[in-house]
Amino acid sequence: MKFNRRDFIKISSATAAGVAVSGLGFDLKAVKSHASLLKTQYARESTTICCYCAVGCGAIVHTSKLGDGRVINIEGDPDHVINKGALCSKGSSIKQLVENDKRLTEPMYRAPYSDKWKTVSWDWALSKIAQRVKKTRDMNFQKTNAKGQIVNRTTSIASVGSAAMDNEECWMYQTLMRSLGLVYIEHQARI
Amino acid sequence: MTNHWIDIKNSDCILIMGSNAAENHPISFKYVTQAMEKGAKLISVDPRFTRTSSKADIYAALRSGTDIAFLGGMIKYILDNNLYNKEYTASYTNAPFIVGREYGFKDGLFTGYQKGGEGPNLGKYDKSKWAFEMDGKGIPKKDRTLLHKRSVFQLMKIHYQRYDLDTVSKVTGTPKTDLLEVYKTFAASGAKGKAGTIMYAMGWTQHTTGTQIIRAMAVIQQLLGNMGVAGGGVNALRGESNVQGSTDHCLLWHIWPGYLKTPRSSNESLEAYNAKWTPKSDDPLSANWWSNYPKYSVSLLKSFFGENANRANQFGYNWQPKVDDGTGYSWFDIFDAMYKGDVEGFFAWGQNPACSGSNASKIRKAMENLDWMVNVNLFDNETGSFWKGPGTDSSKIKTEVFMLPAAVCVEKEGSVTNSGRWMQWRYQGPKPMGNSLPDGDIILRLGKKIMEEYKTSGGVFKDPIVNLKWDYETHGEYDPHKAAKEINGYFTKDVTVKGKMCKKGTLVPSFAWLQADGSTSSGNWLYCNSYTEKGNMSARKSQKDAPNKIGLYPEFAWCWPVNRRIIYNRASVDPKGRPWDKKDWVIKFAGQEKDGKYVSKKWIGDVPDGGWYPMENPDGSKRTDTKHPFIMRKHGHAQIFGPGRADGPFPEHYEPLESPIKNNAFSSQMVNPTAVVYSTKADAYASGDPKFPFVGTTYRVSEHWQTGLMTRPQGWLMEMQPNVFVEMSEELAKIRGIKNGERVMVESARASLECTAMVTKRFKPFNIDGNTVHQVGVPWHYGWRWPTTGTEESANLLTPPAGDPNTRIPETKAFQVNVRKL
Amino acid sequence: MSKSILIDTTICTACRGCQVACKQWHDLPAEKTKNMGSYQNPQDLSFITYKLVRMTETQINDRLQWLFFPDQCRHCEDAPCLETAYDETAIYKDLATNAILYTKNTKSLDADEIIGSCPYNIPKKGAGGVLAKCDMCNDRIHNGLKPACVTACPTGAMTFGDRKKILSIAKKRLKKVKLRFPKARLLDPDTVNIIYLVGFEPTQYWDYAVAGLDRGGVSRSVAMRKMLGPFARMMRVG
Repeated sequence: MKFNRRDFIKISSATAAGVAVSGLGFDLKAVKSHASLLKTQYARESTTICCYCAVGCGAIVHTSKLGDGRVINIEGDPDHVINKGALCSKGSSIKQLVENDKRLTEPMYRAPYSDKWKTVSWDWALSKIAQRVKKTRDMNFQKTNAKGQIVNRTTSIASVGSAAMDNEECWMYQTLMRSLGLVYIEHQARI
Repeated sequence: MTNHWIDIKNSDCILIMGSNAAENHPISFKYVTQAMEKGAKLISVDPRFTRTSSKADIYAALRSGTDIAFLGGMIKYILDNNLYNKEYTASYTNAPFIVGREYGFKDGLFTGYQKGGEGPNLGKYDKSKWAFEMDGKGIPKKDRTLLHKRSVFQLMKIHYQRYDLDTVSKVTGTPKTDLLEVYKTFAASGAKGKAGTIMYAMGWTQHTTGTQIIRAMAVIQQLLGNMGVAGGGVNALRGESNVQGSTDHCLLWHIWPGYLKTPRSSNESLEAYNAKWTPKSDDPLSANWWSNYPKYSVSLLKSFFGENANRANQFGYNWQPKVDDGTGYSWFDIFDAMYKGDVEGFFAWGQNPACSGSNASKIRKAMENLDWMVNVNLFDNETGSFWKGPGTDSSKIKTEVFMLPAAVCVEKEGSVTNSGRWMQWRYQGPKPMGNSLPDGDIILRLGKKIMEEYKTSGGVFKDPIVNLKWDYETHGEYDPHKAAKEINGYFTKDVTVKGKMCKKGTLVPSFAWLQADGSTSSGNWLYCNSYTEKGNMSARKSQKDAPNKIGLYPEFAWCWPVNRRIIYNRASVDPKGRPWDKKDWVIKFAGQEKDGKYVSKKWIGDVPDGGWYPMENPDGSKRTDTKHPFIMRKHGHAQIFGPGRADGPFPEHYEPLESPIKNNAFSSQMVNPTAVVYSTKADAYASGDPKFPFVGTTYRVSEHWQTGLMTRPQGWLMEMQPNVFVEMSEELAKIRGIKNGERVMVESARASLECTAMVTKRFKPFNIDGNTVHQVGVPWHYGWRWPTTGTEESANLLTPPAGDPNTRIPETKAFQVNVRKL
Repeated sequence: MSKSILIDTTICTACRGCQVACKQWHDLPAEKTKNMGSYQNPQDLSFITYKLVRMTETQINDRLQWLFFPDQCRHCEDAPCLETAYDETAIYKDLATNAILYTKNTKSLDADEIIGSCPYNIPKKGAGGVLAKCDMCNDRIHNGLKPACVTACPTGAMTFGDRKKILSIAKKRLKKVKLRFPKARLLDPDTVNIIYLVGFEPTQYWDYAVAGLDRGGVSRSVAMRKMLGPFARMMRVG
């Protein structure tokens, strides 16, 4: 037989009274010593800014000082004046973005008409890309336009991205693309 | 944002329209909530009742694509009821300017319209017809009483006369009582000392009238005196952690870092380029800040090419590519050209066009024409693997694809700039996983490889490549500090500036020190002051607030320009330099006063928008050693009349390219007469077509982000939002016999998308001029690659091939669909 | 001194930062879910989901309301589950925080009886009969941190602290909230440590928002044992 809610409250009060009277309270000396160690105990702390929307919330990254040196915990930075420790569902999930077995960890190449990826080295991939860029650019370079005005550009290569890059990366990236003569340079701000 | 996140707490009235801040910028609600706790009103205007609406004092629904009608009605309400800040409007905006006699507006068209022409625009305007009338000295004529019949103010009154409640309600579907409640509540922020703010995002930009929606709001904010004040402003809630920074650094075809123009083919020399893009004002009271243009452009070229840029070679000006005058090279144009087979090579850096671009099937098809593609990302995506996407035959696709693994943000060091323009430094936690690399290292190494190719085997026009400054490394690895310093800029020789000796190789203290003679470099003048001899300003962490205690935190991170936290802040004071709002003031003049005149200069609070004296002395006499507060505008005034826009100087309502109705209630121009519309066979559209009777829109949810590539691989987020869904009203579900939670088909003129039906009270049918119009919405976070079931596809397969004439941003927020049972 | 959390649902935006922060801190795996026609997911708390924002659309006085209820264990002052279990190696109270904590030994309990004893329908059974629920981030509290969900909350909808202080904040807060929501009330503030403030009738948020009139609580035999608590326990220990 179950008590209803009213009874539950009554029992609670009775117990409280009983405790007060007996002065003993519950004997809980059997309680275990609590996990006083945090999982972040052996971690190095660094600060970051959330990689999702542009509120710019601060977060603390706990990276293991032991073993594989991977991320143990990422949570809001209470000392950040904007979010003061708060993070939304996406911000709270950054650890799972970093420590994710679906991530790409090797350069890969898909040959023409192939149906699969092949793992390649960075050196091979970047050399090949550099050759493709040079070939396409040089074959299609326009020194002048239809009106005969100097344009020094190529419209045979386009590049999009990225609001996911840091400022410093953006700077380098756009100098490289512009020096190659690209004018088809666009990114997330356009869409 | 003209203001910043924390500043929202200073607002008395927050309008959230064209955004869904509670869901897409959740932490902003820390400050929305704080404002509300202090009595601020929250208004949510959205076609659908959202998590934002759930917290609002007032919720008003409107049909997607009718924002200008809604806001035009508010402009009329403010004017009709004299609720504007007269002193502000007359002193700081161009309301008193006299417009030339050639300006006119009739039946939806401004003067100077020409239909058709080259390119994707439906038509073009001759904007010279909208010019201001100038006096003998070349200064715009003004009537500060605002009574002149050709003053901007009077022309505006006439323009919005048509935006009466009946017509607005007929178009938007918003009940008149709701319109009035919103107008009344927001207009109350026009009282002196009160501030109203707008939080908007892609719900406004992604329309064929996107720019003008935002202008309509800017007009309201000017009339109400809400620009420059704490808790005010026009605040675009930007959606990516560094979309502000990457826009500032101009990863866009039309602008160079710091919002300088990319050279046009007619700008034949550096001199011609600077002459063309440096605005001139003959008004001694106009700061016309852009008159410094040559200092910024030359310093930029010095940062591009370093020692190799000199006066003799025009600092490398002709090494820079030029775009043809009058031609667009935007996102839409790239994929249009690619679809037509005119692009051979393609880079996608941390971006997923196969899901993010409007009319995504055209984009996916276009990629099949590429010879090679480089896809840099954290995860495999629908772009890099387009050759094995739905409906493709990989054995027929020639494209070579290089997939390069990038490091996650916490695995690298560098800065990002938030929506409030705060540049914030972040540090490396773990090392990049496996063989992934920070984008910086990928770019650095790729640059070296390309340079090697040109150095060793020569090539076409190799000068810009071999002369590019490329020293952003330490011990063979990318060094963000070196790049950050270059962005700030150096003195390139020993020079004396402002009476101070500056040593070659030292960092420039701020953009006021930049020179046009090659003695300074700066990769982005707006960021000059971010990394100085005092150190990396963006890494600062002081919790100390400024004396005005409005949450500026001037020593926490750094913000452009020159750490000014609220821009246009000189409009936060009256012409005598006294804050409109005595309590939440931004700046105030604290110079000495003698006999009714100011005799010394001093401002306190935020970094003022120029440190000149106030416009007037305490005794009301005008000063001549001052400048109008809107210093970035040629004439120093905020623009109610915007003669530079492609589609007219006043915002005007037009229907979306695809509309549920047959006639535009405001004019016989159905669609923005200058909109861009693409026209290959992959660019289908259908307006007023009974096959697609429902309004469709796209949006985001809190639990996913953009195309979902950085959220779909995460179990925790997928757990909360596992499937692409279509939200619809109970009424519409009944008509189509759709049950909540079942899979259904959403169809547009371009594609079909299978979705889970979410039948909800939060969508209600609209009453549009007596007819019932239904609207549905689909989040655009999905794509076939993740989850690996391949069943959850991109909502951008549905979206239309049209965009705004000023920005060419696609109209993904309003189009026509059908919904049916599977 | 008990630790308490005030959850003011009137300013919760259902950003669900708390829901993920909980999984993040506890390293809990994701559930395989399906969209059932609502934003809420998972559908219920589970062995691997300790915190869940429940979402309900409802029309109240001609106005549409989307009600959010971040559900979790209430950490009852006198917890029926603890009394029912009567086994401190399985369910116990940390006297420093008064958090009610479950151990792996819950597998030896009658899971259905424990679940049935909870007036809020919180404990959930995992493989092998082990029970799990919110532990108030007891490890964080002991190290001077707030629970993960409270830390993550952007709007201040969750406030953590000593019970006495939280009760006083809750009462003040209720007074203020009543100006906007006349029917606002605190849910079972005298008996639980996770105290909800709601703007409307609690059942409009969730069936188990308040202790039910006809469910939960402890069985009569357990109640008897409870009243004799100290002595019974001594006898058992002895």
